[in-house]
Amino acid sequence: MRFAKLLGLIGLAASLAGGTAEAKEWKTVRIGMDATYPPFESVDSSGAIIGWEVDYGNALCAKMHVTCTFQNQDWDGVIPALLSGKFDVILSSMNMTPARAKKVLFSDMYYATAPVWVGQASNKATEVTMESLKGKTVGTQSSTVFANYLDKNFKGADVKLYPGGDEPFLDLASGRTDFVVGDILVAKGFIEKNPDCCRIIAEIPRSADIFGPGVGAAFRPEDKDLAAMFNKAIAEVDADGSYKTMEAKYFKIDIRGK
Amino acid sequence: MSWFSLLFGPTGWGPLLLKGTVITVLLSLTTVPFGFGGGLLLAVLKLSNNRAVRIACDAYTTFFRGIPDLLSLFIVYFGLQSLLNLSAQVFGDAWRIEMNAFIAGVIALSVVVAAYSSEVWVASLKAVPVGQSEAAKSLGLHPKQVFFLIVLPQLGRVALPGLGNIWTILVKDTSLISTLAVMDLLRASSEASRATTRPLLFYSAAAAIYLIFSIVSGVGQAYLERRSNQGYA
Amino acid sequence: MLDTLQNVAGFVVNIDLLSTYGYRLLLGLQITAEVVLISCSLGFVLAYPLSRARMSKNLFISSPALAYVTFFRGTPLLCQLYLVYYGAGEFRPFFQSIDLWWFFRDAFYCCIFAFTLNTCAYQAEILRGAIQSVPKGQIEAARALGLSGYSIARYVVFPQALLVALRPLGNELIGIIKASALAAIVTLLDLMGETRFVFAKTFDFSIYLYAAIIYLAITQAISRLWNWMELLLSRHLLAGRPATMVLGPGARQGQAALDPLRAET
Repeated sequence: MRFAKLLGLIGLAASLAGGTAEAKEWKTVRIGMDATYPPFESVDSSGAIIGWEVDYGNALCAKMHVTCTFQNQDWDGVIPALLSGKFDVILSSMNMTPARAKKVLFSDMYYATAPVWVGQASNKATEVTMESLKGKTVGTQSSTVFANYLDKNFKGADVKLYPGGDEPFLDLASGRTDFVVGDILVAKGFIEKNPDCCRIIAEIPRSADIFGPGVGAAFRPEDKDLAAMFNKAIAEVDADGSYKTMEAKYFKIDIRGK
Repeated sequence: MSWFSLLFGPTGWGPLLLKGTVITVLLSLTTVPFGFGGGLLLAVLKLSNNRAVRIACDAYTTFFRGIPDLLSLFIVYFGLQSLLNLSAQVFGDAWRIEMNAFIAGVIALSVVVAAYSSEVWVASLKAVPVGQSEAAKSLGLHPKQVFFLIVLPQLGRVALPGLGNIWTILVKDTSLISTLAVMDLLRASSEASRATTRPLLFYSAAAAIYLIFSIVSGVGQAYLERRSNQGYA
Repeated sequence: MLDTLQNVAGFVVNIDLLSTYGYRLLLGLQITAEVVLISCSLGFVLAYPLSRARMSKNLFISSPALAYVTFFRGTPLLCQLYLVYYGAGEFRPFFQSIDLWWFFRDAFYCCIFAFTLNTCAYQAEILRGAIQSVPKGQIEAARALGLSGYSIARYVVFPQALLVALRPLGNELIGIIKASALAAIVTLLDLMGETRFVFAKTFDFSIYLYAAIIYLAITQAISRLWNWMELLLSRHLLAGRPATMVLGPGARQGQAALDPLRAET
């Protein structure tokens, strides 16, 4: 009984507090990312986070006139960390899937690339079917659209889920797995560094229910003002041509999507 | 590339490993006062006369000693921040406390270490003869004085071997924080081995550094035990 | 506000989640059980020769054993696991040439390998402490009575040493159960791995609490079972003595070696 009263009191206090809370003025924005995903984000030998998405985030923040800090966060914990307030926005190649949209608020899309099948260099196949996965292992990062794609379309396949984005590729190179499902640019980046390791077998069509329309920034649902600021900045970075410059610095292909 | 240039060359990963080592040491050292202090508090409460308090403290210890440290760290790391945010929602933004990954890591480790060390403290509290407290009380000392002047100074000696064990557990447990977000020694070697595809080199380096720690801790512990046992032989 | 309270409630109980994904946790539990049972028993088998090596008077035998024990007890298990798992990948051509790649290719075997090496070091120290807790005088007396080395071990040392080792070995088993959660980090879908998988699909934090309850139930059950076994095996010592005397000699001697705690790292 006393507990119920206490709850009621807390409820009362909360409704009062909720009524008086003012909109937060954004001066610094903390950006969280899983820096195991080169060339989008990774850690260099000085410990700093580098990559296309860091450059892009800095460009957005310049447009919004806010100071930005970048924080590394393990992918499995990236949404809990956002929701629990360890940072304010996820800028980490997060595909805007319907399942995630129930938990977080997404910005406009800022890039979209193809998911791909990657195989051993010796594998000359041009497509991957359930048949070709018999007795083989597939690696991918856990909690990703790639993992969901495998779970949905290749039920029963031997799938290995890794905490980091580049670990599946390491195991592909070591021969522990036979295939990797991942992003085309991450795959290309890895193959460039380890040419004997593997090759891209086929692109995977982006179905909306699994992959969503593309990659967006993720916010806590209540931070609508911050999302609006980001959307405005995304449009501005497109308009003044700096998106194209950044894109050209890292990639040979167009990633903007529509 | 040779292992030497991978570690100490211009773009070598040695400095990052060194930074990670510093983080690991700082994480361990910062956790000690909170973890061991919390454990002592728990131990005192476990010997309290209030049954509810005793049960609550025992439940706490049983829980955190009975589940994987990895799981406890994860639950505390994310659960605690959610609680803090709840308090911010309830009491207003003045109550919003932001934690960086390091502090969150220290708190998560402290919660676990407190549970572990409380058992050691209980045993050493019981090792101080009741007669001493009774004698002090009959001399007119306040219960607080009895605890801080008579009991506490004697606890260290008895608790030292047990606490030493927990310290080595703690140093090794910091490596689990690497799976969350903190750039500790193990995380730094993971980053290096991913970027260079030379895991064996960097994980061996990390293992060597951990090993040096544990050997140094062992020597330090033996010295402390010898010193605190002077006059008790 | 109501939302918040609902969130708090949902944080604690979520039946839907359990009915949809509960079976996955059970699948994971099976893997956890396999890893733990295999590596703990292999570790136990290897621990005895290692403990003898540790006690050997020959420096060429005892110092490698000491180095082994120091390494595996002095470095985090996670680091050892990474060394085995990712380190082995670097040696693929070598392992293929000796036909052992199938072993190191599989995360399950890698985990068992790393956990076995690790628990073996801890168990060897437990056995050493227990064997050394048997008073030397008893062995001398047995020898004076003309008992053979085997008989001394079988009838004098082991019955007492194993009783002393029982509790720390139980703690070690609990320690390995807790440590096995690390297997999830190298892709094994054990209880922790399945928990992470379910969390990734549902973003529902309460699944971690359910996993905690399962782990807690197991470790508690084992701890109870051990209390009961200890009581059963030490009845002869209990007769006419206060219960605290049961583990007298061993518990006092070498308390550091018979550490009641055992981290998973």
